[in-house]
Amino acid sequence: MRLVWWLATVFGLSVISIFLSQHDATDPVQNLTLTVSAPLQSSLRDLAAPISEAYFGITDRGDIKRENDRLREELETLQNQLAAQQDAQQRVRELEDALGLRQSRPEDTLLAADVIAEEPSGLKRAIAINRGLNDGIDEGMIVLSRAGSVVGTVSRVYDDFAWIRLITDPESAINAQVNIAALSSAPPGTGVLTPEAPSAQASPTPAPTAAPAEPQTVRAVAAGDQRSGIVLDLIPSDAPIATGNLVVTSGLGGNFPRGLLLGTIDTVDERPQAPFKSATIEPSATLSGLETVLVLISFKPARLTGP
Amino acid sequence: MKYILAALIAWFLAVADVSALPYMKILDVTPDLLLVFAASYAVLRPQDEAMIMVPVAGLMHDLTNGDPLGASMIGFAPLVILAAVIRMQAVETKFIPALVVVAIGTVFWGAIRMCVLTITGQEVQWLDATVRVVLPLAIVNTLFVPLTYVPLTWFSAAHRQGIMGRRRITSPL
Repeated sequence: MRLVWWLATVFGLSVISIFLSQHDATDPVQNLTLTVSAPLQSSLRDLAAPISEAYFGITDRGDIKRENDRLREELETLQNQLAAQQDAQQRVRELEDALGLRQSRPEDTLLAADVIAEEPSGLKRAIAINRGLNDGIDEGMIVLSRAGSVVGTVSRVYDDFAWIRLITDPESAINAQVNIAALSSAPPGTGVLTPEAPSAQASPTPAPTAAPAEPQTVRAVAAGDQRSGIVLDLIPSDAPIATGNLVVTSGLGGNFPRGLLLGTIDTVDERPQAPFKSATIEPSATLSGLETVLVLISFKPARLTGP
Repeated sequence: MKYILAALIAWFLAVADVSALPYMKILDVTPDLLLVFAASYAVLRPQDEAMIMVPVAGLMHDLTNGDPLGASMIGFAPLVILAAVIRMQAVETKFIPALVVVAIGTVFWGAIRMCVLTITGQEVQWLDATVRVVLPLAIVNTLFVPLTYVPLTWFSAAHRQGIMGRRRITSPL
């Protein structure tokens, strides 16, 4: 009987706490706890990171060497693509100036933050950072990796800390577009640089008969998934997407600026007769073991600015 | 004093759960040492103590991991019930019961937490979360029982010795 009363009491207290928590009434307590815990959290993370690296360095040495080779190759390809992109960017800027268009992302203002905690259970995918309301952070703001890929959005903010919902969290859904650019998907011999066709890079005079492929974009929704990480859903069945295509934010809805890198297409799931197909995305940012992230404070999501 | 010590250990484990342990993935999940500690506490210590410490451990869990405050407090409650059920059975060692309480308690905690997340309007993929997170976590947490069980057994034995006079401390297992 005593246990029943105890259980009823705990249940009642929990329900009240959850209710208060949902209405942000417990935020000061949670902020205080994180303030007290932050030094220990940082120390433990600093201690655990090298141990983890050393352990995986020993156990995965062969894998690391193979991955290193693959990354070197990928880097070379990307450098080639970057050179072409810079040229294209310059031309876009010139055209924007000529037409008097407003640039979609003039100058991004980023705020660096240290990751102090990571949601351990796996039911949610979230990290905590040591920046909060006092630093100008607000719910819905976009968080990027050091290299500029999307990591997630601010889901809960306290005075000095904030929780970030990662893009792999089941709650996350982002309007995205697949760039089926000539650079990444054109077949060999079209005169366009491709990772699969190094001969095209080497050859100063590509085949004169082939015309460069037209860049194409396909819009879809990138949603977090417990099983696959990120699933790109609602892709029209006739969209010619393929493994390796870049996926970026589309800017639709106003919660993300256009053109932020999410990742690359990993696998494509096509079903006959289905109006849409889906694909899994390999995130560009390494989402586990993050140490520093950048909060894009210059971009106000539509949900913050209001109608 | 024992409550303060237990609360400090719970706080340390809660902090370790969100900071150091995510670097250690087994079966693609991170062990939850605080849950293991709470379950071992419920099995090894008197029920009166467990009825105080287990909700405190749940509270520590919520305060450090960004969940709605109270989600783990109610999620940890089945640990005390399970320990009480196990106490009714005549067993020679408490180690096996501790393993059972941790395994079943983890499943209950996962189910309750998913319910709380659903009720608070968050997306939960029940089947995938159960198969890929909760069940592997039950196995992984069970593997970590000795890490909290052994020190708690020594602490309990030493505590008894302090109260009842000098006694030989027997093997924890």
